[in-house]
Amino acid sequence: MPSPNDEDRLARRSAFLAGARACLPLLPGILPFGMVCGAAAAGAGLSLGQSFALSWLVFAGSSQIVAAQLFASGAPGWVIIATGWAVNLRFMMYSAALAPHFRGFSGPRRWLAAYLLTDQAFAVTLARILDGRPGASWFYLGIAATLWLLWQISSLAGILLGALIPQSWSVDFVVALTFIGVLAPLLRDRNMIAAAVAGGGAAVLLDLPMKLNLMAAAVAGVAAALLLEKLWPKSQSGA
Amino acid sequence: MAEIAVWGVIAALGAATFATRLSFIALFAQTELPRWLRRVLYYVPPAVLAAIVAPQLLSGAPGQHAAPDAPRVVAALLALAIAWRTRSTLLTIGLGMAALWGMRALL
Repeated sequence: MPSPNDEDRLARRSAFLAGARACLPLLPGILPFGMVCGAAAAGAGLSLGQSFALSWLVFAGSSQIVAAQLFASGAPGWVIIATGWAVNLRFMMYSAALAPHFRGFSGPRRWLAAYLLTDQAFAVTLARILDGRPGASWFYLGIAATLWLLWQISSLAGILLGALIPQSWSVDFVVALTFIGVLAPLLRDRNMIAAAVAGGGAAVLLDLPMKLNLMAAAVAGVAAALLLEKLWPKSQSGA
Repeated sequence: MAEIAVWGVIAALGAATFATRLSFIALFAQTELPRWLRRVLYYVPPAVLAAIVAPQLLSGAPGQHAAPDAPRVVAALLALAIAWRTRSTLLTIGLGMAALWGMRALL
C-alpha cells in the first residue's frame, strides 16, 4: 500500500508532466520567436557566448530583441539595461498573482520558479488555477521548465543559423510581426488600445538622444491609458 | 562597446529582470501588490509592444525625416487583423511576411 508520501510524490509528478505536455500547443509561437531572438542578438554583433548569455540570463524574448537592437544602434549601456528592464516590468504583476500558489515551496524552489517565469507559463498556469484544478505549483514548474529548454534550443538555432538568411528577405520584419502577434490579444478594451496608440505614436514622433525613445514612449502609453481611465472611469471594462 | 562592457550590460539586464520575477514570489512574499502599481503594470505591455513595432514601419529612423513605408504598414495592419482573429503566431508571421514580399514584388 502506498504511503501518503508516495501519493504526494505521484500527484506532483503527474502535475509536472501535465505542465510539460501543456507546452505542445505553444510550440508554433515559441520556436520561431526564440530563433528570431537568437538571430537578432547575433545580428547585432554579439559573440556566440554573449548572444546565448542574453538568452539564458535574461530569458525574455521582447527585452532580448530590444537589447539587441539597442546594442546595434550604439546606445549607452544604462539605456539598454533600463529599457530592457521596463519591457520586463510586467513580470512583477505575474509574480504577485502566482505568489500565493508557491507558499508551499522552499526558498530555492521559489527562486527557481521565479527564474522560469514567462508570459506563456503564467497565462497557462493561471487558466488552470481559474479552472479550480489542483497542483498549480508543480504544473507550473512542468510547463515553465519545458518552455525554458525549448527556448534555449531555438535561440541557439537562431544564433547559429540567423546569419545564413539573405538581407533581401526582410526577415527583420518577422520581429515586428512577432510583437503584433503578442500585442493583438491585449487590445481588449479602450484603455489598452489608448496605451498602444500613444506608445506607438510617441515612439515614431520622438527623436530623443541616447535612444531613450522607447522608454519615453512606454511612459506616454501608460500615462494616456491612466488618464483615460481617470477621465471616463464608467465605461472601463478592463480587469 | 567594449567586450567586457557588453557582458556587464547583459548580466545587469539579467539581474534586473530576475528581480522583477522574484519580487512577490520570494522578496516581498507577504506583501500585496499596491493597486496603483497594478494599474501601471497592466498598461505597460501594450504601450511597450506598440512602441517597439511602430518605428519598424518607417522607412527611416524615428524623428523628422522618417516616412511610413507603405508595404510594411499594410502588412502590419493585415497581421494585426489576423492575430486578432486567429491568435496564431505562426499564421500572423507567415501571412504577414507573404503580404510584405507580395507587395514588394508588385510595386
